[in-house]
Amino acid sequence: MTYSARQLWLLTALSTAMMAVGLIWAMFETRQFQETLVWVKPFKFALSLAVFFATLALAFDRLSDGEQGKTKWPIVIAVMASAFWLEMLYISAQAAQGTASHFAVDTPFHSVMYSLMGLGAVCLVLGAGLIGWAMLRDSAAKLHEDLRLGIGVGFILSTVLTLITAFTLGGNGGHFVGTPPVGAAVIPFFGWSGSVGDLRPSHFFALHAMQAVPLLAWMVQGRASARAWIIGGSLGYTALTLALFAQALMGLPLMRL
Amino acid sequence: MSADDLFGLASAAVLPGWLILILAPRGHWVWLDRIPALIIPFGLSALYTGLILAHFARAEGGGFGSIAQVRALFASDYGLLAGWVHYLAFDLMIGAVMAGQMDKMGLSRLSQAPLLALIFLFGPLGAFLIWAAQGSLRLLGKGGAA
Repeated sequence: MTYSARQLWLLTALSTAMMAVGLIWAMFETRQFQETLVWVKPFKFALSLAVFFATLALAFDRLSDGEQGKTKWPIVIAVMASAFWLEMLYISAQAAQGTASHFAVDTPFHSVMYSLMGLGAVCLVLGAGLIGWAMLRDSAAKLHEDLRLGIGVGFILSTVLTLITAFTLGGNGGHFVGTPPVGAAVIPFFGWSGSVGDLRPSHFFALHAMQAVPLLAWMVQGRASARAWIIGGSLGYTALTLALFAQALMGLPLMRL
Repeated sequence: MSADDLFGLASAAVLPGWLILILAPRGHWVWLDRIPALIIPFGLSALYTGLILAHFARAEGGGFGSIAQVRALFASDYGLLAGWVHYLAFDLMIGAVMAGQMDKMGLSRLSQAPLLALIFLFGPLGAFLIWAAQGSLRLLGKGGAA
């Protein structure tokens, strides 16, 4: 395994370890922030990052040895590792103090950290986009041509859609478009609002284009119509994500509960 | 020396060890590797030995059997100091051991730094993270040495 591939698997393993920390934390925690136990947010971010890095590692493993050995990758992955630690440590530290991490701008320190988290998140998704771009260009990659197209398109699409939805989310000052009543129903596990607009569903769908499109490509690879499926599926997925985004911006919940 | 002086001395003594673990090249100079792994923990263990022998039995109602007994051990400044030196010495020694394990995992020094800092601040929390990462790496089928 190349050095860079190993770092991506290690980041996957560290994210999983952070999930374990969250579950153990859950056994002892009683404090809530905005009606949710404080360990939940670090756990959700650890889960999301574990899926993110596992997806990147699986794809990176299939790049040709020549591509994997390029000098840019250790630098790209070091930037992503820095972003990973910044996000995970700050979110966990703030949660352990029972307070906000995102949207917290009450002190200069919190304000700077919130900006840095935004920068870190941009670095993470741009890293995914770079791996997608490399996949599209690497004709010697160790996988089917159709899957290569699906991974390349899926990763780049995920980067673009995530930047759009996450920047809007960040600039919105909170998840919600509207004000949910106290104790209002939320969608189980995800915690998305069932009463007002919530920008997180579209952010979720944007991010997971990087699994959805490659999965579709994997299912149709080898068929004569594979490319049409991948392009059509990507367009449909983009439309769905943007529709959820528009729905939230109009102040409408994903599902009214 | 007063308990406060010894506290300051012991706390200052571990800092070069942690700086070496986090920042210095590793595996090139044996004497440099041994500063955090052996020399500083050895010195602190000597200090602990003296403190615990002179002060353990003085604690009224002290023992290992209940929270109340352990609290009694820590009731005096010297008892508390001995406990603190115990933390400092063992956390640094474990930090050196875990640094070696992270090298074997092939983890970049960049990602080792926050994990070592976590051991410095919250000993077992950092060790738990590294062991859990080793375990999940094995579950992913990527557990072999780099």
